[in-house]
Amino acid sequence: MAMRSQVYAWNNSRASHGGTATVVTAGRSYSIFIGSIGNNITKPAETTATQFVVIEDIGCDPTGYDASAAADGGVAGETGQRAYVQVVINTTSYFLDPDNVGNDGVPGTAAPYPRTIAFQPSFNLYPDVYVLPGQTWDVQYTAYEPNPTTADGASEAFVKYTLYDGPDALIANKLLEMGISVNPGNVDWYKRTLISGASAPAPQA
Amino acid sequence: MAMRSQIYEWANFGTSVRRSAGALAQTVTANQALDIFIGSVGNNITKPAETTATQFVVIEDISASPHNGGSAQVRINTTDYFQNPDVTVMSGIPGRASPYPVGAPSTAGGSDNVLSSFNLYPDVYVLPGQTWSVLYTPTEDVLGSSSATTTGVACFVKYTLYDGPDALIANKLLELGVTVNPNNVDWYKRTLIEQASAPAMAGGVA
Repeated sequence: MAMRSQVYAWNNSRASHGGTATVVTAGRSYSIFIGSIGNNITKPAETTATQFVVIEDIGCDPTGYDASAAADGGVAGETGQRAYVQVVINTTSYFLDPDNVGNDGVPGTAAPYPRTIAFQPSFNLYPDVYVLPGQTWDVQYTAYEPNPTTADGASEAFVKYTLYDGPDALIANKLLEMGISVNPGNVDWYKRTLISGASAPAPQA
Repeated sequence: MAMRSQIYEWANFGTSVRRSAGALAQTVTANQALDIFIGSVGNNITKPAETTATQFVVIEDISASPHNGGSAQVRINTTDYFQNPDVTVMSGIPGRASPYPVGAPSTAGGSDNVLSSFNLYPDVYVLPGQTWSVLYTPTEDVLGSSSATTTGVACFVKYTLYDGPDALIANKLLELGVTVNPNNVDWYKRTLIEQASAPAMAGGVA
């Protein structure tokens, strides 16, 4: 299958592949893939020479800013973990502060996961983030007021991406060269163009 | 990376540059505009937000906590973007019209859910070399952690940063009167490529 919609959901209370079910440390960034907390995978996320990844959405647990007493191990005036998710390509952080310094990434308050009536998205990841063939990518989670127990509201993060493989990855690269957004519709359009070009009658000599 | 979706979230926790764990809510005085980048309340950055000669910023969304009568204003150099019909200054978009987060209660401790009534369209352009800021103004004092009732407030801005060649294209689109967005920048690039790859005119060949 050459184009596949993919998701990865991370939760600090689920343990797999060396990740332990424990609370994150405040102010520290954790890879949701290989950060040793929660469900992990066996190796860093990377694209092969014949893969192309387009990250289309990210989110994490939201925080409410309101009049409130200190709760959940946090400080007064907020309910939640003040959590953020950052995309890192090779060693470069995608989201920057306006002074061009890498920041914590997208707040869960702006891109909540899961979405509820009280927490709806303010953020749309557009333009998408491209991971070119041969690059390593990561999603890093940072919380400033983590809950003291994993049972008391877990740290969660979510990433939605499309994986282009084989010929479709080549087409994705071609679209990128042409300055066309890489999405399934445009990849299909390029294929149709190739097919109609190949089936056209040869020019008269 | 030449076009990047960027965000900045400010909250009245702490008084340091960047965020820190355990930062306590700070008081925000009513009816005083607070710069969310360098206002010395909450998380800040090291210097005013500005574009270099090779950057172009398009602000696509701003929002603020709906409680305490909070509003968010965009300032380019020294000019406030939102103004009253009589061209006098105002405090900007009310958080009740553009809430952050979408679904937050309209009053501190409330249980209703405010949805967005406002969409920042057309977008706000920050041209190369300009300084910009977002100002948060509450109509009621936001009480910090030293008070009986501690209140947290936040402000959010979503923008796209065009850098290098894409900033030049953004400027060109602006000259042409075409909206600056990633689709149109891509369209302009495609046009350039098509022109470059078109066969030379017969008359031009020596």
